[in-house]
This record gives sequence, C-alpha cells and structure tokens, in this order.
Amino acid sequence: MSAEAEIMWTEKYRPKTLDEIVNQEDVVRRLKKFVEEKTMPHCLFAGPPGTGKTTAALCLARDLFKENFAQNYLELNASDERGIDVIRTTVKEFARTIPLGEVPFKILVLDEADNMTADAQQALRRTMERYTQTCRFILVCNYASKIIEPIQSRCALFRFSPLKPEDIAARIKYIAEKEGVTVTDDGIDALLYVGGGDLRRIINLLQAAAALGGVVDGKTVYRISGRVSPSELKKMLDMALRGQFIEARENLRQLMFNYGLSGVDVVRQIHREIFALPVPEDIKLQLADLVGEAEYRIVEGSNDEIQLNSLLAKMAFLGKKIGYAK
Amino acid sequence: MPWVQKYKPKKLEDIVGNRDVALAFGRWLKDRLAGKNVKPAALLHGPPGVGKTLSVEIAAQQFNLELVELNASDVRTKEAIERVAGGAALQASLFGYSGKLIFLDEIDGITSEDRGGIPAVVELVKYSRFPVVMTANDPWDPSFKELRNLCEMFKYDRIRSTSIVAYLRQICRMEGIIPDDEALKVIAEHAEGDVRAALNDLQMVAQGAKKLTKEMVMGLYYRTQQQNAFEVLRRLFSAKTAVTAKMALEGSLVDFDTLIKWINENIPYQYEDVEELAAAYDALSKADVYYARVKRSQNWDLFKYVIDFATAGVALAKKRPFKFVKYQFPKDILMLSATKEERGVKNEILSKIKEKCHISKRRAIIEYLPYLQIIFSENPEMGHKVAKELKLSKEAIEYLSGRAA
Repeated sequence: MSAEAEIMWTEKYRPKTLDEIVNQEDVVRRLKKFVEEKTMPHCLFAGPPGTGKTTAALCLARDLFKENFAQNYLELNASDERGIDVIRTTVKEFARTIPLGEVPFKILVLDEADNMTADAQQALRRTMERYTQTCRFILVCNYASKIIEPIQSRCALFRFSPLKPEDIAARIKYIAEKEGVTVTDDGIDALLYVGGGDLRRIINLLQAAAALGGVVDGKTVYRISGRVSPSELKKMLDMALRGQFIEARENLRQLMFNYGLSGVDVVRQIHREIFALPVPEDIKLQLADLVGEAEYRIVEGSNDEIQLNSLLAKMAFLGKKIGYAK
Repeated sequence: MPWVQKYKPKKLEDIVGNRDVALAFGRWLKDRLAGKNVKPAALLHGPPGVGKTLSVEIAAQQFNLELVELNASDVRTKEAIERVAGGAALQASLFGYSGKLIFLDEIDGITSEDRGGIPAVVELVKYSRFPVVMTANDPWDPSFKELRNLCEMFKYDRIRSTSIVAYLRQICRMEGIIPDDEALKVIAEHAEGDVRAALNDLQMVAQGAKKLTKEMVMGLYYRTQQQNAFEVLRRLFSAKTAVTAKMALEGSLVDFDTLIKWINENIPYQYEDVEELAAAYDALSKADVYYARVKRSQNWDLFKYVIDFATAGVALAKKRPFKFVKYQFPKDILMLSATKEERGVKNEILSKIKEKCHISKRRAIIEYLPYLQIIFSENPEMGHKVAKELKLSKEAIEYLSGRAA
C-alpha cells in the first residue's frame, strides 16, 4: 500500500494562477490588470460560497509576488480570530516590515469578513487606513451589504457570480478523469443539485462518494449528502412540533455539543428546513418569524442555547394549536 | 484538626502567593518597634483567604508580641483606649511578651453597623503606644480616608491558581494522597484566589483518601450547589406574585450565570403544558436579551430587567397550581466537561483543515468534517493519505474513523 500523502481534492484542484480560473471572467480580467501594473486598491470580494473568492485572492497574490508569495501574503479568518484586537495585532506585525521583492505592498486577506460586528468593522477600518502604505486588504464575504459603508467605499468591489452548471460539470469530469473515478451522468446531475453552485461542496461530495470505491452515480451522491447533513436537526423540529420538548432539546444538545455546531449555524439550518415541513403554508411564515427573531438575538450576543430552547418551546405551542401530532 | 490550622505557616516567607507583601509588612513592624519614623499603623487589604490575618498572627509570634484583638466597640471611650493601648509596659511583661500588637480584623464591617466606630479607631491609632494593625477587604470606602492617612498600606492579591495548585500538591504529599492534576486545578479555580477556601475544600473531599480524582471534586461542588439551587428553584417556580418570585434569588449561593442554566434546564420539568412552557421560555429568552445588552454596553443598571424576566417572568407563566417536581442538574454543564476531550481532538482536526484548506474552523465543521468522516470510515487507505497530509494525530484519526461508522 502506498503511503504517500494525499491532500483534499478541494486543495489539489484549486487553481494556482489567475490563468487557471475558468469562471468569473470579468473579475479575473480586472485582477490581471493589477498584476500587470503592480498596483491595486483595497478590495472587497463578495459572492456565494464556493465560487472562488479565496482562490482568486490566492492566485492574484501568487501572480503578483511570485517567489516572494509566502512572505508577502497573509490570510486571516474573521470567524476564528478572537476579536478585533487579535486581528489588529496580527496586522500590525505583518504590515510593519517592508514588503519583499519589487511589489511595494503586501496583501492581507480577511476571510468571512461579514461575520464581524459593526464595531469590529469600524476598528478594522482604522487599521486599514493606518497600514495602507505597506499593505492592501482583500475582504472576502458572502454579502457586501453586511460590510459597513465606510469600508465599502474604500474598496474596489468584485462580485463573484454563481458558477455555471456546464462549467461545474466540466470540472467534475476533469477531476474524475485525473483521479480515475467513473461518474455517471445522473451522478453529475445529483452533484449539481445537492451542491447548488458551491464548487467546494461539490468536490467534497465527489471525493467522499469516490471513497466508497465504486461508480459515482446519483444514488451514491444522495446517500453521501444524506449522511453529511445532521439528521438530528429534522428529528429535533419534528419532536418540537409534536410537543415533545425534552426530546427536541436533547437533539439540540447533540447538535451543539457533539456535532459542534454553533447556535447561529443551527438556526440557519433550521431556516433551510422549515419550508419543507408538513405544516400549513401560513404556519411556515409564522415559523420563519420565530426563527428570524432567534437568529437576530443570537447574532446580537444572546445565549444561543436559551434562545434556541425558547424557539423550540414556541414551536411546541404552535404545533399544538395546529394539531401537528394528529 | 482543620488543615488550615495543621499546615499554618510558621514564617512570613512561607505565606503562599503573597510572600513579598507579607515580608514588607514584617519590615514595617520591625521599624515601628524600633521607633523609626514610619506610619503608626498598618492596613492590610485584599480579598478573603489570601493571608492577611495570617500575616498578623505570624508577625506577632516572630516579634514576641501579645496579640490584642479588638473590635470597634471596645475602644469607644478615652478610658477604654487608655486601658487597651496605653497600658504600662510592666503589665505586658508579666506575660513574657516584649510588647503588644493591637489588631482590628475586618474593619470594613465597622462602617455599616457602627457610626461612631471609625473615629474611635482613628483616636486609637493616634493615641496608642503600640503598633496597630488592621485588615479590610475594601479599604477605599470614603469613611476610611483619615484612617488611611495614618496607615502604611499593604495590598494582598488573589493567589494565582497555579500557585494554589502547587500548594495543594504539597499538602497532598504530606497527607499521603496521590492527586490528579485536573482535580487540583478544579479546586484552585473554584477557590478564585482564596487559598484558605481551597485548602478547606481539599480537606473535605480528600481527607483519608489515597487518591484524589476529578470526579470526587466535581461531586463535592455539585452537591453543595445542587441543594441550594433546588431551594431557589422551588421558591421561584412556586411564587404567585412578581415580587415573591424576585425574592426567590435572595440567599442564592449559586452565581447568576449558573442559576440561569438551572432555570433553563428545569422549565420543561416544571411546565409540562406547552403553553406554559412557551410562556416561561419566552420570559427567560427576554431576560437573556437584556443580559446580552448589559454585557455589550456594560450598563449594569439594565440588570434589574434581566432579574424581572428571569424570575417573575418565568414564575408567572403558570396557569395551574404549582406542584413539586424533581429538578435536574443542568445537563449542558455536565456535557461540556464530558465532551471536553472529544472537543479537543475535534479542535485539532479543524485547526489542521483551516491551515490547509483556507476556511474557518467554524465552517469547516459543516464543509469538511462530515466528508472526512465518510472518507476515513469507508476508505481507510485514502483516509491515511489525507491524515498524512494534514499531519493528524492518532487520536484524530481514530475519531474520524469511528464516528461516521
């Protein structure tokens, strides 16, 4: 058995240079101009998950810095770095030394920037201004509207559009061929359906399906996708509507403590599920109202467990009113 | 015999954590006795259980002084002061001491209960031939101002929990107990800098044992907390009016954050009817919203609304008469400690993914972890290659292989 290392396919097939990016033509054209002129403003990359935002930032930096890439490029993640102070200190460390090579600045990517509070963004804005001589920021986010106006106005905005299905299909075929995996047509359809326009998720689905060892067809893909979405979540909602609150709460705890989801992630997953629940249409909107309130409160800093318990309790009451259990 | 007595230090330099300040106090006393030009009195201040009183007792012994402990009412009149603080040296020598040390413990108690107390103490300090030493938790009360000017101040700090752990380990060695490091850490953290409380807790749980485990320690804290929390919950849930519900918190030994967890855990046991359940949780969630605002703005004036909804709001959710139910220990606290190891492993995996795959740990939980679990359980060969690239530990590989099966 060969013991060589194998990286995740999402990394193995991540484009290395701007030339390798097949989609987002408009974005790529503008970024190539930066490389030619060896100059760029602060940037804001906005678009749905898995459409190549972080990849574009990496490729831009590699094309610009070439062999000095490692010294001049830093990636931070707003979801993980604890607080703006950590970010500020890290930025200061990174930006205070002179960039190596012929490009007169470094690049700092702040991923998932829309997860920062407005206050943290204000602080970030000042940091961006202070180090603008030596450091360009690329903020990456899903929604540009979640970035405060003063930062938006200092950045060049790049909108990443969802990838076209035919481009995704071509990519799936390319990877499958390289890896010696057979993917049927209905396998590709299933990957497109389950993965939406999210290429990262699709490649992960493909790799997990390929790990099963056989042909990747529609059935395998759906089996994989069933296993990767936590089943406790659907069970939890069903239990809550039946009025079995204690069981529903137990499921919630499994999700949070064992599965490791944060409260915000749970509430967002709930929102995805409510429109598929077997309840009258007007009730779905009442549920959305409850879920929305819970998400708002959690994002504003309330305790996720208490807010989610409260949501489940209200669902139990609603379930009784509509006779869900019968 | 209480261990705090049994293992009482004999010298100032043996005082755990506050050695330097204790020695400084000793130097002041030496100078004061030698008639040098120093302040006439000393005020030792700091939180409970950090060695203030102990310093005074040790110093008295070391300098062969008779420790005369007073409270403020003892020194109300000039005659009384003369009696205790001005007495002839001859009288003292009868007992074989070389002098007296006048000691007023916990003077912050005086301000509230006794209006004339502080001026009397000031008089005592001015008048006394002997050194006067006082202790206080909070010496910054405005009514102490004049007194503070007469005192050399010695600030005692909370003991760092690493120092407490080291001290407890020493005691265990002398008692012939083999302690689990985690267990000592739990005691130390629970003590919040109070080394006396830590030693008492250690004795309560470990005396006579050969080994000390974390479970034994947790058991101790759960039990005490539990009895008190049950009582508070019963008062809260049985309250018929807003005011009685709010009073339920009086005498609670459990800190507020933990109490919220208790309420959160037990609402569904108390309220089986879903309408009551929804109303109670609605109230608790509102309390929580206010609490978030308090923490965000640091405006603690808003805290009263947290209390209103967490107590009265929850209590008034009931539509039918109160009945006794069996309350439960908050399960999330138990789950957090039970899954701690697993979370450690998971965190390692997520950190490695973050490093290699340009994604936050938070999103990696959804975007990578489940796929890795399938790969590791279904295709160990591919799994091992990935593990090698991500540089995963053995525990991480086991975790990924086991869970999805």
